Amino acid sequence: MSDIAANAPATGRSNSIWARRLIPDLATRRALIAITAALLVWQVGATSGSWLGTPLPIIGAAPAPDAVLTAWTKLLGDPGYWQSWVSSLLRVTLGFIAATAIGAPFGLALSSWSIFRGLAFPVFELLRPIPPLAWVPASIIFWPTQELSIAFVIFLGGFYTIVLNILGGADALDPRLIQSARSMGASRWTIFRRLILPGVLPSLGVGMETAIGVTWEVVVAAEMISGGSSGASASSGGGLGFFIWNSYVGGAYPNIVVGMISIGFAGYFSSALARWAMGRATPWLKRT
Amino acid sequence: MPQAAPSNALTLLDAKALVAAALPFGGLTEATQTALAESFEQAHYASGETIFAAGALSDDLFIVARGAVRLQRKDVALESETIVSRGSAFGWTALAEGAARRNRAIAIGATVLLRLRGAKLVDLAANDPGPGRISCDDVIAAIRAIQQPPPARKTAKTATPWRLQLKLFQAGEWLRSPKPYLMLLGYAALFGFWHLAVEVLRLPRFAEMPGPSDVFREWISDNPIYGVSLHTSVYYHHILISLRRVALAFIFATALGVPTGLLLGWSKTFRDYVFPLFEMLRPIPILAWVPLSIIMLPGSELPVLFLTFLASFFATALNTMLGVKSIDPSLALAAQCLGASRWQVFRHVIAPGALPFIFTGLQISIGVSWFSLVAAEMVSGQFGLGYLINTSYTMVQYPTIVIAMITLGAVGAVTSVAVRLAGSWLMDWRGRHLATSGAR
Amino acid sequence: MNAQLRQTVQRGGQTSLRGAIEIVDVVKSYDQGGASVQAVDHCSLSIPAGEICMIVGPSGCGKTTLLNAIAGFHGIDGGAITLDGRTLCGQGRPKAEIGADRIVVFQNGALFPWKTNLDNVAFGPIVQKRLTKAEAYEKARELMAEAGLSGHERAYPGELSSGLQRRVEIVRALMNDPAVLLLDEPYRALDALTKSVMHEALLETYYRTGVTIFFITHDLEEAIFLGHRVVAMTSRPCRPKRIFEIDIPHPRSYDALTSTRFRELAAEISACVDEEAIKSFALGEREG
Repeated sequence: MSDIAANAPATGRSNSIWARRLIPDLATRRALIAITAALLVWQVGATSGSWLGTPLPIIGAAPAPDAVLTAWTKLLGDPGYWQSWVSSLLRVTLGFIAATAIGAPFGLALSSWSIFRGLAFPVFELLRPIPPLAWVPASIIFWPTQELSIAFVIFLGGFYTIVLNILGGADALDPRLIQSARSMGASRWTIFRRLILPGVLPSLGVGMETAIGVTWEVVVAAEMISGGSSGASASSGGGLGFFIWNSYVGGAYPNIVVGMISIGFAGYFSSALARWAMGRATPWLKRT
Repeated sequence: MPQAAPSNALTLLDAKALVAAALPFGGLTEATQTALAESFEQAHYASGETIFAAGALSDDLFIVARGAVRLQRKDVALESETIVSRGSAFGWTALAEGAARRNRAIAIGATVLLRLRGAKLVDLAANDPGPGRISCDDVIAAIRAIQQPPPARKTAKTATPWRLQLKLFQAGEWLRSPKPYLMLLGYAALFGFWHLAVEVLRLPRFAEMPGPSDVFREWISDNPIYGVSLHTSVYYHHILISLRRVALAFIFATALGVPTGLLLGWSKTFRDYVFPLFEMLRPIPILAWVPLSIIMLPGSELPVLFLTFLASFFATALNTMLGVKSIDPSLALAAQCLGASRWQVFRHVIAPGALPFIFTGLQISIGVSWFSLVAAEMVSGQFGLGYLINTSYTMVQYPTIVIAMITLGAVGAVTSVAVRLAGSWLMDWRGRHLATSGAR
Repeated sequence: MNAQLRQTVQRGGQTSLRGAIEIVDVVKSYDQGGASVQAVDHCSLSIPAGEICMIVGPSGCGKTTLLNAIAGFHGIDGGAITLDGRTLCGQGRPKAEIGADRIVVFQNGALFPWKTNLDNVAFGPIVQKRLTKAEAYEKARELMAEAGLSGHERAYPGELSSGLQRRVEIVRALMNDPAVLLLDEPYRALDALTKSVMHEALLETYYRTGVTIFFITHDLEEAIFLGHRVVAMTSRPCRPKRIFEIDIPHPRSYDALTSTRFRELAAEISACVDEEAIKSFALGEREG
């Protein structure tokens, strides 16, 4: 995919000379300008209550950036905050691993055996439109512990994405590769281990970011919902979603934003980690 | 009109030589060839004269004795032109009675042709003991087969008929394969297992769950125990509320997301300023916005709409941007070469070029909308299917949970399909291209 | 001026000759992964109006860079390029303006897949607002018929074979009466049989219009068959190594391919280009 924007007829003006000296890269300069401007707007809007008399609609009710920063510095020393990080990351990791461990073989089976595909795929497609969160009550009824019921819903989130990606990747495998392996006398198992498995890894990688994103969504949602309905429960290790909900209920609004940003970072970090791991597992894909 | 043979007519010997040399007459015995040569008439044509027109009923078979003939074929599926010269035979449709000409024959230069009634050739060749007769039969059979009306799916006249025909064909194929029966078997297995586990075997974990018969009975009952069934208006009320929210959020997200994505892909300036902010906000899960949106937005409906909108917006904008990036840059360059201004390139190249990705994005976005909607409804807001699930749980009305879940799935699937159909309808050029290139 | 050229130009009835390109001492380097790579090194070439000038050379030597500079897709670092005396790019103006007087026909085709062939062909005059829609369509139909393409107006490019697509693209270019046609290996992806049909079609078009043609190719036979002159470029950074006059008389038909003169020229040019190709190969050149 090439950069059509780079070929577009140019219209932009360049920034002033001192800015150019300080940060030579145009893109970074502009990014910083945009972020600073956004922060300014946020700060001004959020504090409009005090300097304008009446707060501006919507933005006026938001916690101000400086309050958020203060809250964050305080939280950095709070072990409970870091515990939330750990809980959420643990849930995401376990959920993702479970989804892959069950989803990948399922997807491969769908691709390799047409009878299985005829039987299982329609059922899969039937259940897929039901959003994972809609399963929460059913899950709570079924599973003995709350943790398990949350884990099931989290698993579901990633499961659908991973199966679809693996299926797409396996279907797209060049049959000629398999034929040439067979003509060289490879056994079915060898073909599976050395051709099909590595062959679907790239499509797993492509879907990974989406799958992790979905998993995070469900984790946060599940943490908020279960935290919201069952109240404070230290034993279940709330997690960042619970932290946000708790801050809301407790009126500590700047903490909400801290929680949001924390999850953003955690999500970005886990995606990056997954991408790195994928890159190590598929060295033959050149990154240009 | 062909003239009578002038003084410089061909001799019988010439005619015989031509017949013997022309395929497939060469396979006939010499006696038949002589008989043929005697039966052939000579016809003279001036340069550019039409010997026969396409679609005309065919009588005569021709062999070129002098000059050349241009055979033009122009129909919807194919267009071709061949030039035949001395020694070649053409006009084979004359052998199949009542067949219409497929080509139009025009003389190049002053041309002399040997002409024979097709029926006469069939008679003569039928009595020939040699192998040539068989090839004649083959030719007749081939012509008859060719003259069958062309298969409908090759025509490209109007958009709807061929696609409908294609769909019907695919539907027929599907029914003939084992697929629909396996599918039913799979469903049966699912419901069977559910029924067995809950109602028959009463497995421990499944003790409190509603079984399929409970759910179904509740669903169709006139007087449902928990107040929600096909016959109650509150059921449809919930569906409509959820649908309305998704529709509003989706439309708004598309209206904002597509232009944003197009600009992000097309303008480096815009991308440099906006994309960093976009990418910083995108990783934050939608539900993490719940408390903030409740605080900042007035009322109970707006937060739900906002959350649904947000998820949809990110998906649409991102995919649109990827769509623009996927366009072959030479297309934009070609447009500029042809004199298009910046705006014209955007309108004629970027926007249509990104459409396939935009529609993929929209399909993802509608799915994401439902996801966020359910989550938002479970946490805040009144009415809606997500709300129904939540309240049914808290009020221990378990069959209703399942009814709501299944309804959610069904409505979600229908909206997905609707978006996909809209996409394929709008991108007619892609459908045709994929169909004629043999892709699935 | 090449005697053959003068002859064909007079045959075509061209009285006002347009499309004379002067490439004067052009220098161009570009940035590849941080390192500066020189593509064109003090290249000078003079192309008279109405000439078919074939540019051959090893992969990645910089021929496309030269074409892009003429077209205005990117700028040059030194030297100048003029068209009919008018400076396209040079001192004070590093990048030429992209314009309909020099139209490019791309390697992989650049017909707009979402427009019908007729819409594609009529595109130029319509967006330039030189003709009304009705006039443009009429002229487009005429030109398509002249090129033997009638019947395909309402089809989409994707429904045609590659060869037909190229022909439509050339007609699209010619609709705008360009001074120069810039062809960047347009027939590279076509099979040999289609190629020969394309060559005859191109020559037929040339005899009718007399447009200057700047044609980059790897195919030496194509170069000798079509061109008035063949310019053999050095390996990167490129400059003309040797210029061959093709003194085979126009109009040319395909039996020229077996003539003695053709074979002689092929051997000469081949030896010249092979030398450079080996150098390129040793450098591990990738496709530019």
